Amino acid sequence: MAAWVKGGAADVSAAVEAAATLLAAAKTPIVTGLSADTSAVRAAYHLAGLIGASVDPVGGDGLYAELGPLSQFGNLNTTPAEAIGRADAVLIVGLRPWDRPIVQEIAASAPVRGRAAGSERTLLSLGGPGDGATRHVSYPAAAGGLAVSVAHLRAYVKGNLSGEAAYADLGRRLTTAQYGVVLYDAAELGDLGVEMLQGLVRDLNDLTRFFALSVSDGFQGRAVTQLASWTTGQPPRVGFGRDLPEHDPWRFDSARQVAAGEVDAALWLASLPAPRPDWLGSLPTIAIVGEGSADATGDVAEIVIAVGVPGETAGGALWNERRAAITYAPPAGPPADLTAAAVLAAIQNRLTQKKGASC
Amino acid sequence: MLILIQGGRVVDPTAGRDGVGDVWIEDGHVVAASERKPDRTIDASGCIVMAGGVEVHSHIAGGNVVMSRLLLPDLYVSEAAPEGHPFAHAGGSAAWIGANYARMGYTIAVEPAMPPTNALATQLELADIPLLDRGALTVMGNDDQLLDLLRQREGKAAVRDLVALSVATSRGLGVKCINAGGASAFKDGMLNLSLDEEIPVYGLSTRKIMNALLDAVEEIGVPHPLHVHANNLGIPGADDSFVATMEAAEGRRIHFAHAQFYAYGAVDPANPGTGGFRSAAERITEAMEKHPNATFDVGQVAFGQTVTISLDVIRQFAGRKGANPKKWIITAGDAEGGGIVPFLYKPRGPVSSLQWAIGLELMLLSGDPERTILTTDHPNGGPFTEYPRIIHLLMDKEERDREIAGLHKVIAERSGLCGIEREYTFSEIAQLTRSGPAKLLGLADRGHLREGARADVAIYRDDKNRTAMFARARLVLKDGHVIVEDGEIVDWRAGHTLELTVESDKAMETRTDAYLDARFGAGLDSFTVPDEAFPVSDVFEDVACRA
Ligand SMILES: [Zn+2]
Repeated sequence: MAAWVKGGAADVSAAVEAAATLLAAAKTPIVTGLSADTSAVRAAYHLAGLIGASVDPVGGDGLYAELGPLSQFGNLNTTPAEAIGRADAVLIVGLRPWDRPIVQEIAASAPVRGRAAGSERTLLSLGGPGDGATRHVSYPAAAGGLAVSVAHLRAYVKGNLSGEAAYADLGRRLTTAQYGVVLYDAAELGDLGVEMLQGLVRDLNDLTRFFALSVSDGFQGRAVTQLASWTTGQPPRVGFGRDLPEHDPWRFDSARQVAAGEVDAALWLASLPAPRPDWLGSLPTIAIVGEGSADATGDVAEIVIAVGVPGETAGGALWNERRAAITYAPPAGPPADLTAAAVLAAIQNRLTQKKGASC
Repeated sequence: MLILIQGGRVVDPTAGRDGVGDVWIEDGHVVAASERKPDRTIDASGCIVMAGGVEVHSHIAGGNVVMSRLLLPDLYVSEAAPEGHPFAHAGGSAAWIGANYARMGYTIAVEPAMPPTNALATQLELADIPLLDRGALTVMGNDDQLLDLLRQREGKAAVRDLVALSVATSRGLGVKCINAGGASAFKDGMLNLSLDEEIPVYGLSTRKIMNALLDAVEEIGVPHPLHVHANNLGIPGADDSFVATMEAAEGRRIHFAHAQFYAYGAVDPANPGTGGFRSAAERITEAMEKHPNATFDVGQVAFGQTVTISLDVIRQFAGRKGANPKKWIITAGDAEGGGIVPFLYKPRGPVSSLQWAIGLELMLLSGDPERTILTTDHPNGGPFTEYPRIIHLLMDKEERDREIAGLHKVIAERSGLCGIEREYTFSEIAQLTRSGPAKLLGLADRGHLREGARADVAIYRDDKNRTAMFARARLVLKDGHVIVEDGEIVDWRAGHTLELTVESDKAMETRTDAYLDARFGAGLDSFTVPDEAFPVSDVFEDVACRA
């Protein structure tokens, strides 16, 4: 079954009709999730533009810990392939990056390109687990947490602090790298931590080549950000309520908007898995979810439409973490009947017809 | 539908045409005068009729353009858009770019810097630019696979096959190199690079890499010559690099990006770093006269806040200290890297004033405007929306003098601009913005109004205020459809992305697939730009190689 309206199984066309009716009546709708391929995300932006909704991707928090410092200070980044192929020193900050496959790949390889080719790779950690099977030199976090630890380290690198402390030793290892990389998770580090870390990398580049690499949010946030940038000229968390895209990470934070009672309808787009927001069942909501996923049931939202899952039962352009680029994922098996982009376009068409009829 | 554009002053330098006359259009093309009654007659009396404008070098899509919007979300003003396209009034967006080019009578724009590793995102973004035909140049010259092949002296055929494969995979329209070897050298610790300096690890030089790419482009028959962003951009003495690079082409076709940024002669050649620069426009002009194989686009500066976007990471890293406001992005990318540095061209600042003057001087000295193409290297010298103003300055000596009077006196001291009496004619403007760039891209049916041309036509009300005249075309036709009326978009059609039809060699495919898989954990498939990835169909249009 592909669609439900108010808990009961329905035709897709009836669900699309119900979705258009729901959105046509909304005064302050939101479009959220956006864990989907770029064609679907694009369609969601066009729909949001039409109905004056605000847009907030599920990758929100990690994304904003990155985007905030970026717009204030810029950054100095590299790619996974460059880190794996060139780095002779890799510093992993925090706990969360250790869950990512790139850590094993970094640990299992040595530089093969550039001036560090042929040398050993030193794996370092700051505030990491401090144990485990991967050989590395571990430095504990300072009492104040990760951001404070990075600030501390930066002071040693800059020469504002000196002595024989552990961080002085770590600082020396960083400044003597030929191609250094620091791996982090923006959501774990927070925006102040990211700001501090990028500052550290800036300082290191007065002495050598050193770049940051952050792991992505895992819900297509990087692809959404790119598409948002070329579609609206702005990063996500954008509102169309006043007929032009207004970028405001605080105002258009969907969790805040819902908690404040500002929202009267929502569209949740998650054709790829994403953590379901707790308000989904309590608002008039349309959920576009992956066929066969746990969310593809009639009780998840007022209107539920199940669609092909990009890379599995549908093709789609997706964020590819290892490649650090948007790449095309063909369907792995027989494609589903519906794609998220097609459903969103159908809702938009119905809405346009309704608008036309009312004038 | 048969359309007659009647009674306008038709300016087509490729046909020696500049006089009142008619243009007939049918099925998207210019046709011979017809005996039949037209289905639509457009009264163009009092108007100038030209082919649609052609942009060869404007940073309108790709990873760095995306990042520049995240760094400076407020660079372009957004206005409410009650009607029409939902995002066209969103400053800096793809729709805004398409709309603003179309309003000025432009119908094609080429993004000059598409790294093959990020081809799909760049192409998705380009495809979202409405109204125009688009294209992108595939950037090579810093990638390990190419550099290693050159280090191993594998020979011309291997380089040709790798270049052909890269263009085919990324669906590019041509090939560009950006400070060839510079990004690689930067990652290995170098902070500047000139033509014959050794690039660490590979034992190559910019000259050797460029040589190989120049040959490959000729062998493949890419209609657009190798598009070269030379070494040492923006520093006093850059004119030496420019002329040396021109000579290094040894008669092969070569296009120079944003020549203005190289027309800087060192005031004190013994101490180029401290003495500042003076205009080298005369020297560059002489070199261009000696090398008919070369073309350039200008990279004119316009005053105000902008952001510089470049894959020339060595240059951008050096420029980071001059960031205004003080924030910048440097990326050590998979091959090219990149840098985004905000910049303010101060209207009365000596350096900005001189840069501004040098760009105009280059165009005004040119004996061949078809080889001297108008660009601002958007947004590096300023936004492309400054073109009407620049055209005004070229066409009107009095207007130029008025502007110079308000600028820094360094213009009189260090450039020849004040002594130039020349005023561009409409024909010369058409060479600079239509026929020249169309020939450069190898698009035989663009940039002119002869029979068989695409019906991409711009109609401007003749107005002494050339800025106003060229900012808002009275009418623009794209493939025979009216898309602009009185400077407003009336039909949000989509153009096509022009891609070169190029065969790739199977052995090179297999070899590259293995190389990429070892380096990226994903083979050639993950670098492709398949039709299925696009939200709409019919995105691409083929352009053939030279016979
Ligand atoms: Zn450029």
